[in-house]
Amino acid sequence: MKRRSVYTAVFSVALASMGAACATERKAEDEHPRLVLAGDTGVRSTIEPGALATVRAESVTWWKGPGGRPFEVTVRTTSPATALTRKFGTITLRTSLRSRAADLGQYPCTSCHLGRAMVLADARVRDAHQNITAVHPVQTGGLCSTCHAADNVELLALKSGERASLDHTYRLCAQCHSQQATAWAGGAHGKRLDGWQGRRVLMGCADCHDPHKPAIEHRIPFRAPQIERTRGVTR
Amino acid sequence: MSAEQSPTTASDTRSLMHKQVDRRRALQILFGGLAAGTQAVSACNPLGTKSDEERETSVLAWREYIKGNYRFMTEEERAETIARLERIAKLKRNVDVQIQSTGAQPGVEFGYAFNISKCKGFRSCVEACINENNLDRKAGTQYIRIFEMKNGVVDLDEADATFQHDVPADGHFYMGTQCFQCADPPCVKVCPVGATWAEPDGIVVVDYDWCIGCRYCMAACPYWARRFNWAEPEVPADELNPNQHYLGNRARRAGAVEKCTFCIHRTRQGRLPACAEACPTGARVFGNLLDPNSEIRWVLANKKVFRLKEDLKTEPRFWYFTD
Repeated sequence: MKRRSVYTAVFSVALASMGAACATERKAEDEHPRLVLAGDTGVRSTIEPGALATVRAESVTWWKGPGGRPFEVTVRTTSPATALTRKFGTITLRTSLRSRAADLGQYPCTSCHLGRAMVLADARVRDAHQNITAVHPVQTGGLCSTCHAADNVELLALKSGERASLDHTYRLCAQCHSQQATAWAGGAHGKRLDGWQGRRVLMGCADCHDPHKPAIEHRIPFRAPQIERTRGVTR
Repeated sequence: MSAEQSPTTASDTRSLMHKQVDRRRALQILFGGLAAGTQAVSACNPLGTKSDEERETSVLAWREYIKGNYRFMTEEERAETIARLERIAKLKRNVDVQIQSTGAQPGVEFGYAFNISKCKGFRSCVEACINENNLDRKAGTQYIRIFEMKNGVVDLDEADATFQHDVPADGHFYMGTQCFQCADPPCVKVCPVGATWAEPDGIVVVDYDWCIGCRYCMAACPYWARRFNWAEPEVPADELNPNQHYLGNRARRAGAVEKCTFCIHRTRQGRLPACAEACPTGARVFGNLLDPNSEIRWVLANKKVFRLKEDLKTEPRFWYFTD
């Protein structure tokens, strides 16, 4: 009886201390959520959540094209909690919910994907990824594995057999949308950040287009001008 | 500057008597003395109703009234008027504004390209422009006008700029206009007082305090780009953008013409205009026309481009292009 109570006491103390340790760890994590950006460029950087991170663009050999000017791409490093919208300038752009560059310790794909392999049961895919509206895959007859590497859900599968990180979506998109990719690299498609001068930082494909539902959505415009222009005068 | 400082000294008056002085300077000296005299009288008056701040405001307002054209001011005079304007903003509205006098960067000429395939008519640019440039909220002034046009033809008479429905509408495209900063600007030619001119980087600017409000420029502009202030623009203090430029988004007065300046206070510091930054579809491309590696040059070299009313030979620095 006595021995049993000692055991219980020791056990409960151990449990409590473990719990406390966990709690403090979690609290610290919440207070200073740090995101590790791990592109396949080998560049690693730590960025505050919500900030834009910049990854150096990798050339996609066949559309490097006119000029071949150096440029960098931004990736969103918002943690899933704040990933729905992001302030950009004076407007809020929709962003998709992928935590591609998020802290692997906090939100690993592997917490569901055993051994990083893709789970191909359709019903379960729908359940697990309710934030995805699969418009683009349906329209093109694509499967998850058309774009995502079947053996590693944290990478994109290119037609060449190469793999690209989720940060480098343009390498994947450029395979079909070569005109857009050329215009993007040249400066006619997409957006430049950091001003017109100095370092050239572009927004990546997935910064404006939800990869699974890429069309820009309809909306009601900002208010119309109240002052009419002169009519019937074309010059 | 405080009201106690006498704007006129004995030496000033002497110089007026004996030296060659232009009319403006003479007025400044004479009326500066008058203002100082008035202050002295009102300071002695125990029943004087004017507070110190009111007196300071009136002196500052007078100084502003007799200042010269910005283009011909010395650096010193520019600094003085900016200091006065900042102080007036503080006294009148209790806001702290910073007014730049940043000049044009050498080797820079701004150009703009607008993708009519991409624009969806959301007017996010209009919203950003209003906030950035402190446009009159009461009159609803907007620099940018987005035209909704039927596919296939550019017809500004038929186009609707006042659409207010779910966009993009089927069978339509959207074309934004604003000031095109023409290389041969008709508005500048007709100004009778030289209150508007083209800067070295191509931006056509207005000295709001030199403008007499005749609105010839508005009649001359074939693109409806200029706006007139029938009353003093009203901007709530908490919505005021304190980052200002003398030739850009600083406080305008009633009776002055204003227009888009490609966000002169931003672009001269290497930033994008607010409209380009806010565009959610990436339809707006801005850059340096003299830099062969700029995006704008890539668009001009690789896309089909056109300019509005090109036959008028106003040479706009604003191109339209399609995907």
